[in-house]
Amino acid sequence: MSAFPNLPEALAAAARESPASGLTIFDRRGRAVGRRTFAEVLESAKQAAARLAAKGIRSGDRVVVALPTSFDWFDIWLGAIHLGALPVATAPGAVVGASRIQLAKLIGVIAKLDAKLIVSTESLAKKLADEPVSPASSSSPGYPVLDTPLPACMTPSAIADMNPASGFEIARAFPENTAFLQLTSGSTGFPRAVQVTHGGAIHNALALDAGVAAPHARDSSGFIDHWASWVPLHHDMGLISNLTLMLKGVDLHLMPSEAFLGRPRLWLEMLASGGRTVATAPNFGYQLCVDRIGNAELEGLDLSNWQVAFSAAEMIRPETVSSFLEKFGRCGFKPENYRPGYGLAEATLVVAIDDTGGVPRTLPVPQGAGFQNAAGGFGLSEVFCVGGPVLDTRLEITAPDGSALPEGQVGEVRASGPGIFTGYYNDPEATAETLVDGWLRTGDLGFLDSGELYLTGRLKDLLIIRGENLMPHELEWLAESTSGGGGLERAAAFSVTHGTDGARGEQIILVLEVSHKDPAKLEALSRDLRVAVGHEFGLTLADVVLVKRGLLPKTTSGKVQRGVIRDRYLTGDLARLA
Amino acid sequence: MSETPVDSALAVLAILARETGIAASKINETTELVGDLGIDSPWALQVLVEIEDELDIEINDDEVANLHTVGDILKVVATRFPAPS
Repeated sequence: MSAFPNLPEALAAAARESPASGLTIFDRRGRAVGRRTFAEVLESAKQAAARLAAKGIRSGDRVVVALPTSFDWFDIWLGAIHLGALPVATAPGAVVGASRIQLAKLIGVIAKLDAKLIVSTESLAKKLADEPVSPASSSSPGYPVLDTPLPACMTPSAIADMNPASGFEIARAFPENTAFLQLTSGSTGFPRAVQVTHGGAIHNALALDAGVAAPHARDSSGFIDHWASWVPLHHDMGLISNLTLMLKGVDLHLMPSEAFLGRPRLWLEMLASGGRTVATAPNFGYQLCVDRIGNAELEGLDLSNWQVAFSAAEMIRPETVSSFLEKFGRCGFKPENYRPGYGLAEATLVVAIDDTGGVPRTLPVPQGAGFQNAAGGFGLSEVFCVGGPVLDTRLEITAPDGSALPEGQVGEVRASGPGIFTGYYNDPEATAETLVDGWLRTGDLGFLDSGELYLTGRLKDLLIIRGENLMPHELEWLAESTSGGGGLERAAAFSVTHGTDGARGEQIILVLEVSHKDPAKLEALSRDLRVAVGHEFGLTLADVVLVKRGLLPKTTSGKVQRGVIRDRYLTGDLARLA
Repeated sequence: MSETPVDSALAVLAILARETGIAASKINETTELVGDLGIDSPWALQVLVEIEDELDIEINDDEVANLHTVGDILKVVATRFPAPS
């Protein structure tokens, strides 16, 4: 596939080579909605491209794709690619509830990227239309606001009703041209748009494929019959995994994430149904299978054909792996097929994969000098090997001054190679912080052993919940605005791993300063905070701690010191009022 | 099998009580799914599937996106079991 300069040509070649393969989409209840061969998928995308062209979309224009997993999603996203426009996939809306912050964030993205078109579901289009174009600053934690009218917002069916432009031609992009933008959280929670090139996307797909197939085969051709996924398409893992399999002509079965979350067994049934299969998911997906699939439901589930279970995009937890292997080993799943890896949007997706073919391995976190006591440490004593760097990619561990550290010492992980992004769209400052002399500063902490990577924590105060990134800043802003303290009562949000609940991953703790001691008011505030966080993020808080105003330590510039507060919380030294 | 609006509402409360371990008598229309019952989004989706299966109904995606309180669920469910006129 590397012989092709761009995604449309590479995808067209794959569709010709594997005429029988295609895409099957399932609904929230796990029922097949329909099936298209890859040739049909591409033909439909080209028609969508001609309609987008008729709408006035040109090469380089940003098109926001806010749709659930569906044929419509592929029409619009791939249609934009064929046109040379830049698709930007975003969450189609909160799973439960209409979220004010998420909407403000989407409008901020539209403003920041100067998007020309938004393609969304009818309900999201209605919410956008109802939202004031320039929301007051009080409705979002400082996101960009639109100073021009909202661009056109259309549903896929409205686009399908348009007449296609005549004489439309597929854009002939070069490998170094940007193909699409991938959203990822910035330091304040407002997304940054990662520029992924045609060459970078094709390289990373090839690298993922080689890593997944090794050591059994050189690539997935003839090794894998089908692929089943629920990971959303606006997530880098969902997107690149699916592109990879389309480029390799492997049959693709996709369900919306809501289907998996509602009934995790559907995913495993899909995996069991179609011969030799591969699947990817963040750690939380495997944990959800352990938690929500009862022993009685294991009956009749044959996972012996599940060739590779790729786990990346969030910290791999030892308790999850051992309980998953124990439970699903009874269904024939083989431990050596559990495949840890590491990736991030700024590297297109994949940076490292453990492709040795053995059972997952751990090493103790090195003690002594280095970063291991940083606030972002996961507090794990043993961490998983996520493998060596993928195809043509290099890894380095660095000290705070940027100098390389020897093996066995914990530092910031840096990566370089063909899959590394070219910068954030319209954000030279963030790009300069992240790309240094051709190396990507990942913000993740880890160490190398025999050239293989082990992750131990994060430099940034990032919360990764269910594989999605959340910045503490967003929760703190929400807490401060809920309490109505006028910004004088500060909040701190951080995550902890409770001993017995460790397998559930990160638990979120919210600490807020208050100016009174009335127990009834404190209890009411505590509930208000839980309700607000539930509405905006669909998250439950593991603990809400209310403390006296002025108690939270701050830096001289007024930033709350989350690491110090977290330590005090864990040692019980935080004087709580409620 | 629930056939009346009252039966279906009681069935929903029983499912929520069973899922969360919180007594049905402590759950009412204003109870928040996330804030009060601690049901986060993945869990909420599972609870909805339980409700759909037990009551033999389907809740569409647009309806799912607007459920905050127990009352919100009851309202949607009630549309599937209209009171006899």
